[in-house]
Amino acid sequence: MTVDEISSVASRPDAAARGGRAPAAGRPRASMTARRHRAFYMFTSPWIAGFLLLTVVPMLYALWLSFTTFDGISPNWKYVGLGNYRELLNDPVTWDALGRAGLFAVTSVPLSIIAGLALAVLVNRPIKARGLFRTLLYLPAVVPPVGAGLAFKQLFDQNSGAANGILNVFGIDALGWLADPYARYVLLMTVLWTAGNVMIISLAGLQDVPRELHEAARIDGASAWRTFRSITVPLLSPVLLFQTVTGMIASVQTIMPLLLAPLGGTEGVTSVPQSNYLYMMHVFAQYFALGRYGYASALLWVLFVLILLVTGLIFKFTSGAVFYNVDPEAKK
Amino acid sequence: MRPHAGAPLSRRRFLALAAGGTAAGAALSGCAMQVSTGVGGSGETVTVMVKSGDILPEQIQQAKKELGIKIALVRYDITKLIAMLTSGNPPDLVRGVGAVDAPFFAARGVAEELDPYFARSGVLKLDDLDPVNDLWRFDGRTQGKGPRYGMAKDFSQDSMFWYNGSAFDKAGVDYPSATEPVTYEEWLDTAKRLVQRKSGQTSVFGGSYQGVTRSTLLATMTASAGGSLFNDDFSRVDFTTPEARRALAWVIDYCKTKVGPSLIQPDPNGWDGPTYQAGRLAMSNAGYWMGGMIYPDKKLAEASRLAPAPVFAGGPRISACQAGTGLWMPRGAKNKDAAWRVFEWFFGEEPAKARASGGWGIPTLKSLRSLMPDQEEAQKRALEVQENELKHFSVVSFTPYTTADALDALFNQIAPAAMNGQISVDTLAGRLNSAINEQMKRGKEQVG
Repeated sequence: MTVDEISSVASRPDAAARGGRAPAAGRPRASMTARRHRAFYMFTSPWIAGFLLLTVVPMLYALWLSFTTFDGISPNWKYVGLGNYRELLNDPVTWDALGRAGLFAVTSVPLSIIAGLALAVLVNRPIKARGLFRTLLYLPAVVPPVGAGLAFKQLFDQNSGAANGILNVFGIDALGWLADPYARYVLLMTVLWTAGNVMIISLAGLQDVPRELHEAARIDGASAWRTFRSITVPLLSPVLLFQTVTGMIASVQTIMPLLLAPLGGTEGVTSVPQSNYLYMMHVFAQYFALGRYGYASALLWVLFVLILLVTGLIFKFTSGAVFYNVDPEAKK
Repeated sequence: MRPHAGAPLSRRRFLALAAGGTAAGAALSGCAMQVSTGVGGSGETVTVMVKSGDILPEQIQQAKKELGIKIALVRYDITKLIAMLTSGNPPDLVRGVGAVDAPFFAARGVAEELDPYFARSGVLKLDDLDPVNDLWRFDGRTQGKGPRYGMAKDFSQDSMFWYNGSAFDKAGVDYPSATEPVTYEEWLDTAKRLVQRKSGQTSVFGGSYQGVTRSTLLATMTASAGGSLFNDDFSRVDFTTPEARRALAWVIDYCKTKVGPSLIQPDPNGWDGPTYQAGRLAMSNAGYWMGGMIYPDKKLAEASRLAPAPVFAGGPRISACQAGTGLWMPRGAKNKDAAWRVFEWFFGEEPAKARASGGWGIPTLKSLRSLMPDQEEAQKRALEVQENELKHFSVVSFTPYTTADALDALFNQIAPAAMNGQISVDTLAGRLNSAINEQMKRGKEQVG
């Protein structure tokens, strides 16, 4: 019998009761449990306090605002009940912005996952200066978004940007990259530019794939593509699911179009080209340019509920396709 | 079952305690904020919300030495200002654009009436105030009348324009008159002749004409056409009147021709200054203030000329100030007397003199006019044009029912379709009326 087994048996209530020393044995156990609880709460309380103060309270405040016409300053705001939600349902600008945000999510998330995974596969191979490549590919992901936005604006400026300079070398006339219809492609490029984020997580996943499985497949005569499709991808599926869910949430909340907007200031948000006027641009415009705090809060709550729904649907429809490599014994 | 003393903390009880603690923390931090702008350790503290460069670090030291008041700067941010106003803890003085902010904040009762302060001031005397300060007056209905709510730090007639003579010489175009205005149509024709393009890229913009904001530009141009963008009680706009439509059509035409930066052809610099300095802009719609940027560059100063505000053929000659940027005092300011002392110092003492002699605008006290720079030939030339233009100064009133930012945001959203030729100017006028009037209706309900 091991030491753990001995202590486990000694602490069983029935054992204590048989010995006729239940109260004496129960007190230390209760005291230990209480200490454990206290330790747990002491360690988690900073996070819980932050969560309540910075997430729950603002969300409830926004919920309250969404039932009002509050504009931040004016004294005569009033309760409108579900009025803001009714207006939202009949606002074509809102639906267009939501549709564009959805389209952006279903385009940008798969693209960035494919690009990140491809890069991860490349830098997982035994190549020279592998560490340097990993660092270089990850670097764009640590550039602050504001800096990235400015860089892209300069790079794709119609009159002085490097992108048009390259086109001119080949005798092609300059394009208005930051205006419609090209602005959406520049926005996608900003997403792909930070594919290093996806790469680093996929790389960690790739390094967790047991080497024996690849070797066994090679011995059985499987091609590289077949090995990747039938072994690597299934074992990476939890990582890919994580990236799909977090990528989808991040993409519908992106403010990158604002950083590429032609005009600054709060009113500049509506100067983004129509194709980049995504849902969060609309929310920002309603809050800060038009001062419609109530309506904007309703927009945010609707987005929150939609994200919950879509996340739930992703989990539901991928449950059969995600392979969790968990030791069954560990569940007991 | 109620938990007893010594029992392990239940999750429910813990969460309730955490929520209580959080609320108490928020309340305590709120209380702490309430007193933070009060009396400081070494004298009074006045919180001033401005943009960087409005008050320099050495001026803060100067204020502490001369006034015994510590100035705490807060960077201007409208969202932060609204949060501070809502929490009942506003700055003591706030930057504002008189032409558009004065009626908005005054109508909502958040700005302090300053008439009693002016009445007893030995520094800022009413008969010394330039008429531009009337932008900061509002009688509950009309801008330019009634109590004063702030003051402009300096001003320009923002429909004027600077031009680079070298670009005109290169294109063989005659210089505009220094005394007689060109028409808007002539200005656009000149810009078309000055623009230089190659392979789809514009190397030199013919001209930039965008006003201080889209809404002040359109209101001012409508006035130049002989009309008014707003109705009598400023509760509605009408872009379908002949005068407003004429102004709107010109703006759309300017954008369509792509002679200068616009919503559909943005300048990555964000404003005309760097582009003009680089010799990539032949004409820039900016008033006298831009001389402050031009004069230090001798070559640029020599080539640059200031010209009168354009007019519409057959319309009146007016030359409005579209900004009149200055300071106002929130009604909820905690330290009003000290704030007024800083106000007097900023507008009537050393900082005002430094601004007047720097060429970054016309002083808002008549007594400081003599300090405007005229040592260099370029400065003399610009001052002469400016002095002549002052005869045509006018105030174009703005609505109290919405911000200029809101009108600009709606314009930015709706107008590009017309700039790209997808809808007509008449359709645009109708859409602007609909969206802007809805916004102003909401604003009127809120003002009451």
